[in-house]
Amino acid sequence: MTAVSAHGETPHAGPAGRLRSAETARVLGTLALTLGVIAWAGGDLFRQDLAILGATYALLALGMYMPFNLAGVLSLAYSAYVAIGGYAVGLVATKTGWPLPLAFLLGAVASAALAVALGFATRRLSGFYLAAVTLLFGVAFQSFLLDAKGITGGALGIGSIRPLTLFGAELDRLSLIALALLTVWIVAVAMDRVRRSPFGVALQSSRDVPAAVEAAGVGVPALRLTVLGAGAAVASLGGALFTTANQTIGPDTFTLHLVTLAIFMPLLGGQGSAWGAVLGAVLVVQLTFNLQIFERAGSLIFGVAVLAVLVIAPRGILGYAGQAARWLHRRLARARGTAQGTGSGGTAR
Amino acid sequence: MSAQLWVSAVQIGCFFGLVALGYYLVLEGADFFNFALGPFAMFSGLTTSWLMAERGWPLGFAAVLGIAVAALLAVVTEVALVRPIDARSGGGELPSLIAVVAVLFAVEQLAGTLFGRHLMPGRSWLPDTSLDLGVATVDGQTLVLVAATLVTFTGVWLWMRKSRYGRILRAVGSNREAARTLGMPVGRVRLVAFALAGLVVGLAGNLFSAKAGVSFQSGFGWALSGFLAMVIGGTGSVWAPLAGGLLLALAQTLVPYYLGSASLDYAVLAVAILFFALRPSGLFVRRVRV
Repeated sequence: MTAVSAHGETPHAGPAGRLRSAETARVLGTLALTLGVIAWAGGDLFRQDLAILGATYALLALGMYMPFNLAGVLSLAYSAYVAIGGYAVGLVATKTGWPLPLAFLLGAVASAALAVALGFATRRLSGFYLAAVTLLFGVAFQSFLLDAKGITGGALGIGSIRPLTLFGAELDRLSLIALALLTVWIVAVAMDRVRRSPFGVALQSSRDVPAAVEAAGVGVPALRLTVLGAGAAVASLGGALFTTANQTIGPDTFTLHLVTLAIFMPLLGGQGSAWGAVLGAVLVVQLTFNLQIFERAGSLIFGVAVLAVLVIAPRGILGYAGQAARWLHRRLARARGTAQGTGSGGTAR
Repeated sequence: MSAQLWVSAVQIGCFFGLVALGYYLVLEGADFFNFALGPFAMFSGLTTSWLMAERGWPLGFAAVLGIAVAALLAVVTEVALVRPIDARSGGGELPSLIAVVAVLFAVEQLAGTLFGRHLMPGRSWLPDTSLDLGVATVDGQTLVLVAATLVTFTGVWLWMRKSRYGRILRAVGSNREAARTLGMPVGRVRLVAFALAGLVVGLAGNLFSAKAGVSFQSGFGWALSGFLAMVIGGTGSVWAPLAGGLLLALAQTLVPYYLGSASLDYAVLAVAILFFALRPSGLFVRRVRV
């Protein structure tokens, strides 16, 4: 079930050692990639925009990872949670003198509470019904943002949000992007560990055989509410970071549309690992924003790509990459084995 | 409330009812919620409007082509996506749900890319006709929509009663496994259900766009309204979706009139949650006398 990393081939004692070294390689490799992206974003404003958008999308998809990809609960209210993160920053920045990091916390708590409440109200629903009702919640929240002018500023939203200060120093845009990308990295590493923890195993089993999980003494409804709340908090972080970077938020900053994109991200990247969600987010940003050649057909190409992946490649890019890596690994091992067996090969070992 | 609002409620209600009838057919024949029906309706309306406005086609050809395209989209969705994904997942709901969301998205983007991402204004089929009721005037397009709704519902009702496939559809809807055991062509009935639903929503989208206009993103809201109409009406009879549609449209007209526009979406959410809590099978339930 673990995707073997291409770097994890250092000979350790036993399979446990191999796994541990693969894990270390994965953590360090992804950290290096994250740092690489930070360096790539550099001083270029457009790249910075792409990076912050990618981080927001990734946090949204990671927020949906536990309930949707692991527990099989498709709630579509996430556009509301992301917006809550953003509006928390906007409200704290313009209406109070509190430090902005507090807004991140408040937004996370508020959206987690809302997600648990909505999850409780819809606890008997699943599949299509759950998707539709949570979508209606998203619609209602969108009109709340437009309507409650006293709180949200209506159609105009909230502007001129002050920049984030950490430890007394004001963060410039690049540091903020570094912060956002590192947050993505931390959350993805954490989610991937959760997936392989006993908690994650219970989650995945609650998707496939809920009765067995109940019988084992784990309450499935409580399990679902927990991950819905945690996921909403993660998604709200994405909204908060995006809002801090752009210093403005309005009702059309995070539309319902976002949720459909978020469903597709882990699908494209691969659902076998939390990193699939991140890879999917990168692809979405690339296809829908950065592909100038296709003019406005980027979204169409993206939609067709999703359909194609669904039908012919259900495991996504990382799933197939992992398979290819395993295949290569086996081939190498076998080649090494035959070489030693005949005694003719002078393999350097 | 003025009588004119009632006219508009009936008109919207007929539209919602037709979309809900599409849901009903797919639900009976395939045990499946085809959310992409909303975008199919949009695609039909947009195709016709675009052909007439940009290519100068006459209304008849453009409308027939628009409706046919919706049915074609429905058939392609079933054959190329839902069926293989369903077979692979062994009847699990989530993969096909994601597939439908993907279809919804792709159809929306296809329409946006082909026909442009702007609102196409409606163009009435009967611009010179109107019915004066004394307290309210009913314009030609509303007459067409109401008449088409009645004809469609009656047609589907008769079809499900009299025709071979209609009866098999009802049998499959009430007990899939038994129907399969009896050797009924369950797979073919699924396809018929998808195609017929595509035709029905194609007609609905076509007629409604001619009145209210259509853009590539209209289908999303239509899909949700149709779903709600379906939930309110239930699946007890062919006419239940129409009753659900009319009730929903009445609520959608009354609530903003008395409580302000944003309250509509809150009310819709509340209605949905209430219905699932109290009457999950809708208002009209099939009762079996023993």
